[in-house]
Amino acid sequence: MTKKILSLVLAVLMAASLFVGCAPAEQGGETVKNENKVIVGSTTDLSGDFRFPGWGGSSAGAADQDVNKLTVGYSTMETNQGGAYVWNNTAVKSHTETEDADGNLVITIEINEGLKFSDGSDIKAVNYLAYILAFSSPVVQSAEHPGKAGQAMVGYESFNAYVGDVDYDQVKADAKAAAQEEAGDAFDEAKWEAAYVAPTKEFAGVRLLGDYKFSLTISAAKGYYPYYFANTYGAVSPYHMGFIFGEGVEIKDDGNGAYLTGNWYDKSGDTYAKGEHVKEARYDVSKYPFSGAYVIKEWDKGTKQATLEINPNFAGNFEGQKPSIKTIVYTKIVQETQLDQFKTGQVDILSGITGGADTKAALAEVDASNGKFAEVHYQRAGYGKLQFECDFGPTMFNSVRQAVAYVLNTAEFASAFTGGYGTVIYGPYSPDFAMWTAVKDDITLVDYSFSVENAKQALIDGGWIYNSKGEAFVEGQTGVDAVRYKKLTAAEATDVNKAFASVENTDGVEYKTVEVNGEYYMPLVINWFGTTNNDVTDMLAARLVGTDNVKALGMVIRSTVGDFDKLLGEIYREPSYGYGGTPTYGMFNLATGWNNAVYDYSWNWSLDPAYFDYSVNKLYDEYDVAFPYYDAEGNHTKLSYADAVTASGDKLGMDYLSMAMVYDAATVEEYNQWWMAYIERWNELMPDIPLYSNYYYDVYNAKIENFKTSPFWSPVDALLYCTIKNAA
Amino acid sequence: MGKYVLKRLGYVLVVFLILSLLMYLVYAMIPFDRARAEVEQYKTIYKNEPEKFEAKYQELRKELGLDQNVFVRYLGWIGIVPINGQYQGLLQGDFGYSYTYDRPVIELLSEPMRNTVFINIIATIIALGITMPLGIFCATHRGGKRDTFIQTATIIGYSIPTFIMAIVFIWLLAILLREGVEALTGLDINIFPVSGMKTPGSDYKGIQKLLDELHYMALPIIVMTVGSLGGMTRYVRASMTEALSMDCIRTARAKGLREQVVVYSHAWRNALIPIITLVIGWFLSIFSGSIMIENIFGLNGMGQLYIGSLNAKDFEVVLLIQMFYVIIGLLGNLVVDIAYGIADPRVRVNN
Repeated sequence: MTKKILSLVLAVLMAASLFVGCAPAEQGGETVKNENKVIVGSTTDLSGDFRFPGWGGSSAGAADQDVNKLTVGYSTMETNQGGAYVWNNTAVKSHTETEDADGNLVITIEINEGLKFSDGSDIKAVNYLAYILAFSSPVVQSAEHPGKAGQAMVGYESFNAYVGDVDYDQVKADAKAAAQEEAGDAFDEAKWEAAYVAPTKEFAGVRLLGDYKFSLTISAAKGYYPYYFANTYGAVSPYHMGFIFGEGVEIKDDGNGAYLTGNWYDKSGDTYAKGEHVKEARYDVSKYPFSGAYVIKEWDKGTKQATLEINPNFAGNFEGQKPSIKTIVYTKIVQETQLDQFKTGQVDILSGITGGADTKAALAEVDASNGKFAEVHYQRAGYGKLQFECDFGPTMFNSVRQAVAYVLNTAEFASAFTGGYGTVIYGPYSPDFAMWTAVKDDITLVDYSFSVENAKQALIDGGWIYNSKGEAFVEGQTGVDAVRYKKLTAAEATDVNKAFASVENTDGVEYKTVEVNGEYYMPLVINWFGTTNNDVTDMLAARLVGTDNVKALGMVIRSTVGDFDKLLGEIYREPSYGYGGTPTYGMFNLATGWNNAVYDYSWNWSLDPAYFDYSVNKLYDEYDVAFPYYDAEGNHTKLSYADAVTASGDKLGMDYLSMAMVYDAATVEEYNQWWMAYIERWNELMPDIPLYSNYYYDVYNAKIENFKTSPFWSPVDALLYCTIKNAA
Repeated sequence: MGKYVLKRLGYVLVVFLILSLLMYLVYAMIPFDRARAEVEQYKTIYKNEPEKFEAKYQELRKELGLDQNVFVRYLGWIGIVPINGQYQGLLQGDFGYSYTYDRPVIELLSEPMRNTVFINIIATIIALGITMPLGIFCATHRGGKRDTFIQTATIIGYSIPTFIMAIVFIWLLAILLREGVEALTGLDINIFPVSGMKTPGSDYKGIQKLLDELHYMALPIIVMTVGSLGGMTRYVRASMTEALSMDCIRTARAKGLREQVVVYSHAWRNALIPIITLVIGWFLSIFSGSIMIENIFGLNGMGQLYIGSLNAKDFEVVLLIQMFYVIIGLLGNLVVDIAYGIADPRVRVNN
């Protein structure tokens, strides 16, 4: 009886399945037509935030960004297969970059006539200015958007301060009174007047010069120009006026800058009415047209699935490429079963497969598919790393960081972690960067291949030659003398370093900085913090912490495993994240990467404490102390690379190099030269140790032809160039 | 009866307030700073203006009420003290904001709730439909071969973790069965989809949409049903066995009543009280998603939303979901007590 019931249930379910779930069958010898559709799987949830993923912030969902990329087009600049920004000649008829009398960069752009949105309406210059103007105004800020779209441009502050048709004399008087009240007797009227930003209706740095012509003026006074990537501020996309503004708003320019007319600044009570419109439009998928290669046909928030169809009015990307695949479905997949979904035809593309087991399984499926599936792979633009804190403890010394780099067999680590599908790099670069290609034959990098001897020598050279009594270090000792000590200079003997001690002393030995005859000696102990549920943490525990090689060096690594937020708290030194007020951990395991080739690490190595939050490693290069980028008065003399090398005695520091790379370089060759020196200096100082750079595999149904991806060219970019074999 | 219900509703309110305060305090104690997380995106915007970055951080702390002490924040969350001059708490219909999804929490709940209820109702009804008669059958055939077999099977089923069962069923029904059918018939039929909730790109309407959803839900429903058979069957069997050994049953049999009447009219009603607790508990659980099932089958349900929000430290979402379950649990207890009275006149509250 039970069997009968089970059989019946199965039969009913199968019948239902047949009714709705049949896939096209192979029919003996006949060529089967494939549906002109691709199903892209994503392990990241779609959230429906397709129009402005992340809402002006940096925390946009990857899947939402993909849908955005497919539906927004005609940007004046787009990124190419190498991740570099290039002018989009499909949209841009001509452009010029000139300097005005104030040293600002004026980018004048004329767009092509005939560009259309998906609903057939024309795309004109106003559509390109809509976003910059709206998203620089207080109206969008009332909708919790940062409202900084035009901040690099001249006149942003005045335009941002404009709140509509009000009495600005009274506004100024009120502001002054408030400042006076707050400052009391310390109020400096002249200073206040100088700092006061007078609101203006016009955005001076944004000009509407005709139906198809506009210009953007990038501010020199605010430090946005000269800047190597300054022309990327000219990358703007067109948006439908109704979508951005709703009804009743126009963009005008009377010669002083573009401005918004009509009811843009109208308020309903205390709130801007158009702020509510913008909030609603953010999640629109059907009311307003799209400019990109595809339009959203359906967004099913219940199943988190988006169906996109070709935009017939799309004229092409920066290479004039138009799509031919009629439908793209973006759907959620489950990482653990994604390969099953792929081989059962539930998805056509799995991207970014990495790690030994997953890659092997995916490649086995491709091999066994008899040509039904194919793969494309590339080295990730990024790497897993050990990140050092370089302002306290042993990891503040280059010799220690280098010793760790030598004693950790990164080649073996990378091979084990990636299952052989990865490699080791010794610097912060991607081999797919154009600058790497340009300099790779000339660059000289230290090879940190596994060598206990080299590690030991680095420590000896770095002064790690004492024991806890200030005598010569002798190998093979136990207790607190099992590790090397370094005598600290007066400058190095800070309160934090004097109090430095090991944590997680489960063996009963606490290593700490000792004072001997008025001198301070720091023990060679690295307090390492790793995150839970992390294979890298586990592998580091087995391959580095407590190994005989580390012991042989006279080094101890103490491991603490915990929550990722705790790790962030230690790096940010943020009490609200659980940071206790004294830096404790000198080493963390993390990962980093690049989405494009805009390589800019300026302000990351600044000696100015004000930039502490911008510094990942808190590394203050001694070369920058001797030869700083800015002098004591805050001035900088621009030098060529050769002159800077000479002036510094061939000792250019990280801050100098990272600043000069983007603020002094004017040509590709100059930029590459600074970049090469930056990578070399980084490689010498090793603020991070790259552990592995894995290969990413994209597997796909071979019915998709011409599918080529790269670290900077995702499946959604690649699909524009693809066709479906025997498309129905 | 009405007075009793009102009194119990008063208890519900008090327990809700106490639990919500405790929960709120627990989340406030976790070392995490929403303002710090939110301000990170401004690092690029204020790239060379560190003082503005810091000012923005302080502004966000104020905006989020983080400059207030935790009790003031709690009262603000309830809606009885203003935060930044505004009353915006539960009492005003503001159920919090999700920083992960960047929208009000209440907007996030409808779809996952619908999906969770949909799948749980079907799985619960099927499971009850199987376990009730099966448990009664085992109790009335206690010690027989079939009872022993079912007991063994239910012990095994009860012991296997859901995620293992899910993976085994995916392999058997979504992969092997498909390959078997293809080998035998040459038909490439997606009999049981591995995961997902609808045919990608489909635009079905009406009955076709329902069938498509059922097609995708079939495998998780099977796993949920099979996973719950063991426990419930054994529970019904135990309760029924105890009822069958009561004096009144012996009397009923002695009176010469038919066995069916003895079992289903007398014994079953006596066995119902412990079962009601369980069954109502089950029905209440239709609102709470299964984290395992939803994750493995990629279902957009309450379990996934809950665990995702917890991982993302999106505590306003987590808190609201938890308080919703608290309310459901408290009201559920009230319903159970009232149901006891309906099932057994001896425990009616007004008696």
